[in-house]
Amino acid sequence: MTLGLAFDLLLACALLWSAWRTLSTPRLDRAIILFIAFGLLMTIAWIRLSAPDIALAEAAIGAGLTGALLLDAYGALRQRKRRRKAS
Amino acid sequence: MSAIDWLSALLLVVGAAFFFAGTLGLLRFPDVYSRLHALAKADNLGLGCVLLGLALRADSLAVAMKLLLIWPLVLTASAGVGFAIARRAQTLGIRPWRQGDAP
Amino acid sequence: MTTLALAIALFLLANLVVALVAAARGPTSADRMLMALLFGTTGTGILALLAAAGAGAAAVDVALVLALLAAIGGIAFAKRAWRARHHVSD
Repeated sequence: MTLGLAFDLLLACALLWSAWRTLSTPRLDRAIILFIAFGLLMTIAWIRLSAPDIALAEAAIGAGLTGALLLDAYGALRQRKRRRKAS
Repeated sequence: MSAIDWLSALLLVVGAAFFFAGTLGLLRFPDVYSRLHALAKADNLGLGCVLLGLALRADSLAVAMKLLLIWPLVLTASAGVGFAIARRAQTLGIRPWRQGDAP
Repeated sequence: MTTLALAIALFLLANLVVALVAAARGPTSADRMLMALLFGTTGTGILALLAAAGAGAAAVDVALVLALLAAIGGIAFAKRAWRARHHVSD
């Protein structure tokens, strides 16, 4: 069971690190990518906690759709800023 | 252990080696195109080996088929994404790395 | 055999963490997006291995969903979010 313990410890450290970096990064695009990575690690964590239904929701919503929506919103924000600067 | 078990273990280890090669390429290659190439090929081959190794020792045929279904899905998805990213990089005017350039 | 699957899952997770740390301080945003793609493929592998290591067949379904949806983020990045200004250095 010591392999499982090593897996869980590494997973917990990576989760905490990515969560902290997501909140503390000043650049918006970096924060979005880190958020996607955080969602994926969270999915693996739910599987390790033997809750596959929550893992399914996290994979679909957290890692997939929210990441795409945030990236899209980021692109729209930048385009609007550039248009305002040009006019 | 039977022959199938040994084959499955071998496939798992080979898959892990390919994953390692993909990560190494992502960290060491000089530009976006070559990194994309390392990522899209080595990682998908590694995933294919791992999934085949797991399907060999699955409990039922349905689980094995589901495992083998993942691979073509990942292949088509990564081909699409790789194409989109490479074309966008070319549109943005990023030049491919040549021998002698700074990495 | 369960031990082998768990050991390989641990190895893949270590790969993932190294790539995460390296790409979070990487130079261009394209590198970070490639890192997210690596996360999709490797995460699918980890979930399938965890299903063999005792998490049950439901983890395979999660791996399937992840394999499908990881591509959407990459497409959204390439089509909508990636603009020229960051890439002078590339």
